Amino acid sequence: MKHITKVYGSLYANDDVHLTLDKGEILAVVGENGAGKSTLMKILYGLEQPTSGEIYLNGELQHFRSPHDAIAKKIGMVQQHFMLLEPCTVAENIVYGREPRKNGLFFDRSAAIRITEELCDKYGLHIDPRRLVKDCPVGLQQRVEILKVLYQDADIIIFDEPSAVLTPQEVGELLATMRKLAQMGKSIIIITHKLHEVMTVADRVMVMRLGKYIQEMPKSETSIEEMSFLMVGRHIVEREVPPQETTGTVLDVQDLVLAGPDEKNILDHFSIHVDAGEIVGIAGVSGNGQSELIQCLTGLLPPTSGQVVLRGQNMAGRSVGDIRSAGCACIPEDRYLWGCAAKASLTETSIMAHQYKPELSRHGLLNSKGAKGFTQKLLNDYDVRNSGQSQKAGELSGGNIQKLIVAREMEQNSPLLIAAEPTRGVDIGAIEFIHNKLLQKREKGDAVLLISSELTEIMSLSDRIYVIYEGHAAGEFRKADATEEALGILMMGGTLHENE
Amino acid sequence: MNSAYIASVINSTLRSTTPILLAALGCAICSRVGVFNVALEAQMLIACFTSIAVNYFTSSVLLSVLAGVLSGALVGAVVAILQVKYKAADMVVGTALNLLVGAITTFLLYLIFGLRGKLVDNRLVSLSKINLPVIKDIPFLGRVLENLTIIDYLSYIIAIVLFVYLFKTVAGFRTLSVGINKPAAESLGTKATRIQMEMVTLSGALCGLGGVVLSMGQVTMFTENMTSGRGFIAMAAASLGMSHPLLVIASSLFFGLCQGIGLALQNVVKAQLTNTLPYIATIVALVLFSKRNSSAKLKK
Amino acid sequence: MKTNETRNAAWKGIALRGWQALRQPLVATIFGLLVGAAVILACGHNPIEVYKEMFEKSFFKPYYLFSTLTRATPIIICAMAVGMSWRAGYINLGVEGQMVTGTLVATVVALFMPGPPILVAIIAWLAGMAAGALYALLPSVLTWKFNVSMVITTLMLNYVANYIASYFVTYPLKDTSGDGLALQTPEIAAEMRLPRLSSTSTFNAGFIVAILVVVFMVFITRKTVFGYESKMGGFNPSFARYGGTKQVRVMLITMALAGAIASMAGSAEVFGLKYRYADGMLSSTSYAWTGLQAALIADLDPVGMFFISIFLSGLQIGGSAIQRSLGIPLEIATIIQCCITLFVSVKLVIRFVKKPKPAASAKGGAQA
Repeated sequence: MKHITKVYGSLYANDDVHLTLDKGEILAVVGENGAGKSTLMKILYGLEQPTSGEIYLNGELQHFRSPHDAIAKKIGMVQQHFMLLEPCTVAENIVYGREPRKNGLFFDRSAAIRITEELCDKYGLHIDPRRLVKDCPVGLQQRVEILKVLYQDADIIIFDEPSAVLTPQEVGELLATMRKLAQMGKSIIIITHKLHEVMTVADRVMVMRLGKYIQEMPKSETSIEEMSFLMVGRHIVEREVPPQETTGTVLDVQDLVLAGPDEKNILDHFSIHVDAGEIVGIAGVSGNGQSELIQCLTGLLPPTSGQVVLRGQNMAGRSVGDIRSAGCACIPEDRYLWGCAAKASLTETSIMAHQYKPELSRHGLLNSKGAKGFTQKLLNDYDVRNSGQSQKAGELSGGNIQKLIVAREMEQNSPLLIAAEPTRGVDIGAIEFIHNKLLQKREKGDAVLLISSELTEIMSLSDRIYVIYEGHAAGEFRKADATEEALGILMMGGTLHENE
Repeated sequence: MNSAYIASVINSTLRSTTPILLAALGCAICSRVGVFNVALEAQMLIACFTSIAVNYFTSSVLLSVLAGVLSGALVGAVVAILQVKYKAADMVVGTALNLLVGAITTFLLYLIFGLRGKLVDNRLVSLSKINLPVIKDIPFLGRVLENLTIIDYLSYIIAIVLFVYLFKTVAGFRTLSVGINKPAAESLGTKATRIQMEMVTLSGALCGLGGVVLSMGQVTMFTENMTSGRGFIAMAAASLGMSHPLLVIASSLFFGLCQGIGLALQNVVKAQLTNTLPYIATIVALVLFSKRNSSAKLKK
Repeated sequence: MKTNETRNAAWKGIALRGWQALRQPLVATIFGLLVGAAVILACGHNPIEVYKEMFEKSFFKPYYLFSTLTRATPIIICAMAVGMSWRAGYINLGVEGQMVTGTLVATVVALFMPGPPILVAIIAWLAGMAAGALYALLPSVLTWKFNVSMVITTLMLNYVANYIASYFVTYPLKDTSGDGLALQTPEIAAEMRLPRLSSTSTFNAGFIVAILVVVFMVFITRKTVFGYESKMGGFNPSFARYGGTKQVRVMLITMALAGAIASMAGSAEVFGLKYRYADGMLSSTSYAWTGLQAALIADLDPVGMFFISIFLSGLQIGGSAIQRSLGIPLEIATIIQCCITLFVSVKLVIRFVKKPKPAASAKGGAQA
């Protein structure tokens, strides 16, 4: 790829980027969120067209107008958000696009199963072809994605942030798979911001920052420190969080159960407690009941049984409004689903859950002046870039809208803050900002429950860490005792010898 | 209640079912590709009018049916362009088109024929009625299947063909995949938008055929807004049948039965009251089956 | 210096917002009229002449202007009923049924309740509003308890209300005086009628009721916590729920208000214009549907709905004028209306100003 430039509006997502890939090698493209890695890969895979620049494959100039063109040239991509048909079987997903036929018209599903089995044997990746994808854990779903790409006969395989959703052990397995594929002659590009993975698997590293090509070097000639310096453009200072005494329990969750549609419970006798003045992290692979836990704690879902004691009062099954007024604020896990409405103005976004406060309304009548003043304070204090309060929430960038939501929930000044994925998909500046705000909240002596699938975030901020696995609290660590490996084992459903 | 009476109720049930079934199948394929089509009523009504208009001038049943189906497909294509291509809000497009077609048909009725309200003429040829040779002499069954048109039979065949297409063929698999996860379908080169537009147009054609049955089946005439909510009843039928062609047959038969009973009761109760039956039945049916629907959603 | 700059920026912002709010309906209206012109041309008439006559006989001559405003009265009120429910995310297609039920009840009370006429009239209006509200609550409760699609239930209830009202005026409530051919109730007492506002036409105080409803609507949407919460619920129900709003309560109040408002549209027609309930008087005129279109074109903004309702009723009055003089069917007005709505729906304007970009689709009723 030569001189690739991609412009969105006035934003240069890619600015004159080069990339080369040799047969059988693993190239790691590293960079922070928003560095333009994904855009570059989407261009290579035909999902986006470059504003300018050219792509050569084996010396031939290519014009990919759609993924179809890229697939025809044997380029495949394992996307970060899986592109799977969830209610269909594994086999149906794998053969999609090149289905075996009967009489030229009919879908030969038994042949699909046979093909899948052969494919599994050939590459040593095992999975039951008859299983429905929605019943597969995330690691297996990713395997389906890889098999799909292999069935398309790809020679170049792109992995977009493949480890984001996996446990450390699953990541190990994935990296081994990549090695094996490279040995079989496949060329692999992995885009990631996790540098130890790069050191384990890659042959060569390319660094991007703010849409620009920065540098490229063989793995053997670089180090994690050098790469992180190149990625961020400055040295990162490790944050030191001073230990702090806790004062009394704020949230005490006992035996929380949420029944699922089948016999299995989504939340299975889940018990934790959060004290004032500490940040408690909940680590886990997403889909193990975190979303439902948040919804049960905040009143969006009534739990089947169990207690949610908030400052001495059992709030299980009470309404969202009651739980909020009892002293719980929440940064939601999905900011566009729960945190805002795309068409709402910034004022409307800011006053949600504040609307009954006396400075904003009396007897059901809104005080527009009060609302404007309040909103302006949030926008200023939390450095939300905006073009006026009548701007729509959907027009803000992800980082800015997240900062506004954090501001809104912080301003509740509640004894308990639930922060769910507080930094998902925002740029590094916003991440640091939000982390500092969470730590300030802790310093003030409030309780913070941090739920995140980003293990490093949990480990750097939390005083105590629980692991959630299949809706059950699988282990509890003090900060000093928590290691990535131990957490990883519990996240997979394993057990630690020390605990027994 | 004697058996002849029951047979005649079943017979009118079958006749009332056909337009609803065809429109419900149209609705079902739209929701299978992830498009919420509210303009079913418009797609049916336009066909009622064009088929009768063509019928009036050509006296050809075949041409009338074709014109009806094509005009329905045309409205379907408009829905496809607005909703799929320009991503216009479904409810807005649907309600506007339903009203637009209502106005256009009335407009043309006045402009072409100088008539208001309805068009009846003895020049109009109705769909030929089929009385199967042996069966017509069997006492009960003969009455049940009496005077059905070819489209009445065809509608069930279409349902079965749709079932085979969606669940047994490769093209059908791709069609379903668009509704399950459009980006995923597109990521492997399926032309998802095109499939959506084709299916919405096909739904227009199916509703068009339903409209033809309405205006040239039991009666041969056009009345303003003669579809009278059947498009929405079909929507309910498709939703109760979970957009599965074979289940849709069952749910459509239920609504056909309600109309059949309504017609049968007209001798006993005032027409204004029996006329409400299909509409009330639709609501009741939606309520009764709501539990199953919501649990199905949960599992998803 | 700096405050000046920010003030300028604020003014620019307001001007830009205003233009953005207006340009869509404006451009769509122009396109709608162009489609109408094509249809008129196809009928063999000169569009400019026809439009000139249409607008003269709807807005520019006082007599016709009064007819336009008279016709606009129920349309404005229906638009508010539609706006009330749609802005909160409840796709209420049943304004017609709610209007018919409420009006029938109001008429019955006015006909049969003894007492001083003014008091009876007030009770009649209130009873009508209560009936309309209850009729709107029925589908709401079904949605709440059984998660049934409100699109279908509200529409079905229109037919039920129309047939039942038709039954009542055909049999028990029928006016047997006179030739007895017309399906209608007897007239209500003269003292209960709304006063006329013009000596030469039927323009009456119903229009003032309509303006009051608009003011009420503006107040609710801009000044109350309820208006804020229902608006957020319409934008994103999950967001509103997460913020702790009591959504069932908001839904029931919203729909009850919508039903009550809808009934006022019909009451205004009975007490201000017709003085009796006649079969099909509220459905054949498609007040509710015109109101719905006005609401959609104005993107549910109360003041916008008010003016667009008047514009649309002007089209209809002009339409019937040219039907009389030129023989072009009056449905030309509805055709133009629907085209305007469709053009608004595809956000046509965006394509003039910048290149098309994938706009977030506003899926209104994915629940069915």
